[in-house]
Amino acid sequence: MGSGGYRPEASQNDPYSVSPNGGNGQSGKFVAEKVAKATQLRPSGFAQGENTAMAQQISEGGNVSTTASAANPASQLPQAGMGADMAQLLGAIEPLDSEPTEFRPVSDGIDGFSGRGSEALPPSLNPNNRQIENTELVRRYLPDMLNAARMPGAPDSYKRMINALMRELM
Amino acid sequence: MQWMENTFFDHLDKFGNSLGYENFGIAFMLSMVPWESPTDRDNFIRDITGQDVKGGEPSNFNPEYLEF
Repeated sequence: MGSGGYRPEASQNDPYSVSPNGGNGQSGKFVAEKVAKATQLRPSGFAQGENTAMAQQISEGGNVSTTASAANPASQLPQAGMGADMAQLLGAIEPLDSEPTEFRPVSDGIDGFSGRGSEALPPSLNPNNRQIENTELVRRYLPDMLNAARMPGAPDSYKRMINALMRELM
Repeated sequence: MQWMENTFFDHLDKFGNSLGYENFGIAFMLSMVPWESPTDRDNFIRDITGQDVKGGEPSNFNPEYLEF
Protein backbone atom coordinates (compact mmCIF):
# COMPACT_ATOMS: atom_id res chain seq x y z
CA MET A 1 0.00 0.00 0.00
CA GLY A 2 1.44 3.28 -1.09
CA SER A 3 1.90 6.23 1.24
CA GLY A 4 -0.14 9.45 1.01
CA GLY A 5 -3.65 9.99 -0.29
CA TYR A 6 -6.93 9.64 1.53
CA ARG A 7 -7.06 6.80 4.01
CA PRO A 8 -10.52 6.30 5.57
CA GLU A 9 -9.10 4.16 8.38
CA ALA A 10 -6.70 6.93 9.51
CA SER A 11 -7.35 8.28 13.04
CA GLN A 12 -8.00 11.82 11.83
CA ASN A 13 -10.87 10.48 9.71
CA ASP A 14 -12.45 8.48 12.51
CA PRO A 15 -15.36 10.52 13.92
CA TYR A 16 -15.43 8.44 17.13
CA SER A 17 -11.79 8.97 17.99
CA VAL A 18 -12.28 12.03 20.20
CA SER A 19 -10.40 12.42 23.46
CA PRO A 20 -12.56 13.59 26.35
CA ASN A 21 -9.73 15.84 27.53
CA GLY A 22 -9.61 17.64 24.20
CA GLY A 23 -6.83 17.55 21.69
CA ASN A 24 -4.47 14.67 22.39
CA GLY A 25 -5.70 14.21 25.96
CA GLN A 26 -3.29 16.19 28.05
CA SER A 27 -4.67 14.91 31.37
CA GLY A 28 -4.44 18.20 33.27
CA LYS A 29 -1.08 19.21 31.90
CA PHE A 30 -2.66 22.21 30.20
CA VAL A 31 -4.06 23.60 33.47
CA ALA A 32 -0.80 22.99 35.30
CA GLU A 33 1.12 24.92 32.66
CA LYS A 34 -1.29 27.86 32.87
CA VAL A 35 -0.94 27.98 36.66
CA ALA A 36 2.83 27.93 36.33
CA LYS A 37 2.70 30.80 33.84
CA ALA A 38 0.37 32.82 36.06
CA THR A 39 2.78 32.35 38.93
CA GLN A 40 5.63 33.66 36.83
CA LEU A 41 3.70 36.70 35.65
CA ARG A 42 4.33 39.84 37.69
CA PRO A 43 2.52 42.84 36.24
CA SER A 44 4.00 46.15 37.24
CA GLY A 45 2.27 47.92 40.14
CA PHE A 46 1.62 44.81 42.22
CA ALA A 47 3.11 44.79 45.68
CA GLN A 48 5.33 41.98 46.89
CA GLY A 49 3.28 38.88 47.63
CA GLU A 50 0.10 39.88 45.88
CA ASN A 51 0.99 38.01 42.74
CA THR A 52 1.63 34.88 44.77
CA ALA A 53 -1.70 35.24 46.54
CA MET A 54 -3.48 35.62 43.26
CA ALA A 55 -1.71 32.63 41.78
CA GLN A 56 -2.66 30.63 44.86
CA GLN A 57 -6.28 31.54 44.35
CA ILE A 58 -6.06 30.53 40.70
CA SER A 59 -4.63 27.16 41.66
CA GLU A 60 -7.31 26.66 44.33
CA GLY A 61 -9.93 26.60 41.60
CA GLY A 62 -13.53 27.61 41.29
CA ASN A 63 -14.33 28.02 44.97
CA VAL A 64 -12.89 31.52 44.94
CA SER A 65 -15.37 34.00 43.55
CA THR A 66 -12.99 36.94 43.27
CA THR A 67 -9.33 37.75 43.59
CA ALA A 68 -10.04 41.19 45.04
CA SER A 69 -9.46 40.07 48.61
CA ALA A 70 -6.08 38.62 47.70
CA ALA A 71 -4.92 41.75 45.90
CA ASN A 72 -6.40 44.13 48.46
CA PRO A 73 -6.88 42.65 51.93
CA ALA A 74 -8.70 45.81 53.13
CA SER A 75 -11.69 44.97 50.92
CA GLN A 76 -12.45 41.75 52.75
CA LEU A 77 -15.94 41.25 54.14
CA PRO A 78 -16.56 42.32 57.76
CA GLN A 79 -15.39 39.83 60.33
CA ALA A 80 -16.69 39.07 63.82
CA GLY A 81 -16.28 42.56 65.32
CA MET A 82 -17.98 44.40 62.49
CA GLY A 83 -20.62 41.70 62.30
CA ALA A 84 -21.67 42.44 65.85
CA ASP A 85 -22.13 46.12 64.98
CA MET A 86 -24.23 45.20 61.99
CA ALA A 87 -26.41 42.96 64.15
CA GLN A 88 -26.93 45.87 66.52
CA LEU A 89 -27.90 48.15 63.62
CA LEU A 90 -30.24 45.60 62.09
CA GLY A 91 -31.82 44.96 65.47
CA ALA A 92 -32.99 48.58 65.59
CA ILE A 93 -34.95 48.14 62.36
CA GLU A 94 -38.42 46.84 62.92
CA PRO A 95 -39.30 44.04 60.51
CA LEU A 96 -42.33 44.62 58.33
CA ASP A 97 -44.05 41.53 59.65
CA SER A 98 -43.33 42.22 63.30
CA GLU A 99 -46.96 43.00 64.04
CA PRO A 100 -50.09 41.95 62.20
CA THR A 101 -51.18 45.05 60.29
CA GLU A 102 -54.17 43.38 58.70
CA PHE A 103 -56.14 43.97 61.90
CA ARG A 104 -55.50 47.72 61.85
CA PRO A 105 -58.07 50.02 60.23
CA VAL A 106 -57.21 51.78 56.99
CA SER A 107 -57.19 55.09 58.84
CA ASP A 108 -54.42 53.97 61.18
CA GLY A 109 -52.00 56.88 61.67
CA ILE A 110 -54.53 59.67 61.01
CA ASP A 111 -55.80 61.80 63.86
CA GLY A 112 -59.52 61.78 64.55
CA PHE A 113 -60.20 58.43 62.93
CA SER A 114 -60.28 54.88 64.18
CA GLY A 115 -56.93 53.31 64.94
CA ARG A 116 -53.81 55.02 66.20
CA GLY A 117 -53.28 58.73 65.63
CA SER A 118 -50.41 60.56 63.99
CA GLU A 119 -48.13 59.59 66.89
CA ALA A 120 -47.80 56.19 65.18
CA LEU A 121 -46.17 57.77 62.13
CA PRO A 122 -42.44 58.45 61.83
CA PRO A 123 -41.61 62.13 62.46
CA SER A 124 -40.65 62.67 58.83
CA LEU A 125 -44.15 61.64 57.69
CA ASN A 126 -46.01 63.94 60.05
CA PRO A 127 -45.90 67.46 58.63
CA ASN A 128 -48.31 69.88 60.22
CA ASN A 129 -49.73 71.49 57.09
CA ARG A 130 -53.38 70.55 57.59
CA GLN A 131 -54.26 73.94 59.04
CA ILE A 132 -52.89 75.76 56.01
CA GLU A 133 -54.81 73.45 53.68
CA ASN A 134 -58.04 74.00 55.61
CA THR A 135 -57.65 77.77 55.63
CA GLU A 136 -56.95 77.88 51.92
CA LEU A 137 -60.02 75.77 51.08
CA VAL A 138 -62.32 77.73 53.37
CA ARG A 139 -61.08 81.04 52.00
CA ARG A 140 -61.69 79.93 48.43
CA TYR A 141 -65.10 78.30 48.81
CA LEU A 142 -66.63 80.21 51.72
CA PRO A 143 -69.04 82.30 49.58
CA ASP A 144 -70.56 79.17 48.02
CA MET A 145 -70.70 77.38 51.36
CA LEU A 146 -72.42 80.41 52.90
CA ASN A 147 -75.02 80.41 50.14
CA ALA A 148 -75.68 76.74 50.81
CA ALA A 149 -76.13 77.50 54.51
CA ARG A 150 -78.88 79.96 53.58
CA MET A 151 -80.83 77.31 51.64
CA PRO A 152 -84.17 76.42 53.13
CA GLY A 153 -83.83 73.14 54.95
CA ALA A 154 -80.08 73.45 55.56
CA PRO A 155 -79.32 71.42 58.69
CA ASP A 156 -78.13 73.17 61.82
CA SER A 157 -75.01 71.02 61.91
CA TYR A 158 -73.96 72.45 58.57
CA LYS A 159 -74.56 76.02 59.73
CA ARG A 160 -72.57 75.39 62.88
CA MET A 161 -69.70 74.03 60.84
CA ILE A 162 -69.68 77.09 58.55
CA ASN A 163 -69.72 79.37 61.59
CA ALA A 164 -66.79 77.52 63.12
CA LEU A 165 -64.83 77.72 59.87
CA MET A 166 -65.51 81.44 59.57
CA ARG A 167 -64.33 81.98 63.14
CA GLU A 168 -61.15 80.07 62.32
CA LEU A 169 -60.57 82.23 59.28
CA MET A 170 -61.07 85.55 61.09
CA MET B 1 -83.19 76.28 45.96
CA GLN B 2 -83.84 73.65 48.57
CA TRP B 3 -81.28 71.72 50.59
CA MET B 4 -81.14 68.24 49.11
CA GLU B 5 -79.75 64.96 50.25
CA ASN B 6 -76.88 63.25 48.41
CA THR B 7 -75.46 66.52 47.11
CA PHE B 8 -72.01 68.02 47.64
CA PHE B 9 -73.16 70.20 50.54
CA ASP B 10 -74.96 67.31 52.18
CA HIS B 11 -71.77 65.23 51.91
CA LEU B 12 -69.78 68.16 53.30
CA ASP B 13 -72.11 68.40 56.26
CA LYS B 14 -71.75 64.70 57.07
CA PHE B 15 -68.02 64.44 56.49
CA GLY B 16 -67.18 67.75 58.17
CA ASN B 17 -69.12 66.90 61.31
CA SER B 18 -68.09 63.25 61.43
CA LEU B 19 -64.38 63.77 60.83
CA GLY B 20 -64.09 66.98 62.79
CA TYR B 21 -63.62 70.57 61.64
CA GLU B 22 -59.86 70.24 61.90
CA ASN B 23 -60.05 67.67 59.09
CA PHE B 24 -62.03 69.97 56.85
CA GLY B 25 -59.59 69.52 53.97
CA ILE B 26 -60.14 65.77 53.89
CA ALA B 27 -63.88 66.22 54.38
CA PHE B 28 -63.99 68.61 51.43
CA MET B 29 -62.22 66.16 49.13
CA LEU B 30 -64.36 63.22 50.22
CA SER B 31 -67.47 65.31 49.60
CA MET B 32 -66.53 65.59 45.94
CA VAL B 33 -66.74 61.82 45.53
CA PRO B 34 -69.88 60.88 43.54
CA TRP B 35 -71.33 58.58 46.19
CA GLU B 36 -73.91 56.17 44.81
CA SER B 37 -76.23 56.74 47.73
CA PRO B 38 -76.25 58.34 51.18
CA THR B 39 -76.15 54.82 52.60
CA ASP B 40 -72.88 54.07 50.83
CA ARG B 41 -71.40 57.32 52.07
CA ASP B 42 -72.58 56.74 55.63
CA ASN B 43 -71.18 53.21 55.62
CA PHE B 44 -67.85 54.62 54.50
CA ILE B 45 -67.89 57.18 57.30
CA ARG B 46 -68.69 54.47 59.83
CA ASP B 47 -65.84 52.34 58.48
CA ILE B 48 -63.18 55.03 58.78
CA THR B 49 -64.32 56.64 62.03
CA GLY B 50 -65.67 53.62 63.86
CA GLN B 51 -68.51 55.83 65.05
CA ASP B 52 -71.97 56.75 63.89
CA VAL B 53 -72.44 59.46 61.29
CA LYS B 54 -72.75 63.00 62.62
CA GLY B 55 -74.33 65.97 60.95
CA GLY B 56 -77.60 66.44 59.11
CA GLU B 57 -79.43 67.22 62.34
CA PRO B 58 -83.09 67.10 61.39
CA SER B 59 -84.13 70.28 63.16
CA ASN B 60 -85.12 71.77 59.85
CA PHE B 61 -83.88 69.08 57.48
CA ASN B 62 -86.12 66.17 56.59
CA PRO B 63 -85.46 64.67 53.17
CA GLU B 64 -88.84 62.96 53.15
CA TYR B 65 -90.54 66.32 52.80
CA LEU B 66 -88.31 67.62 50.05
CA GLU B 67 -89.94 68.36 46.72
CA PHE B 68 -88.17 66.78 43.76
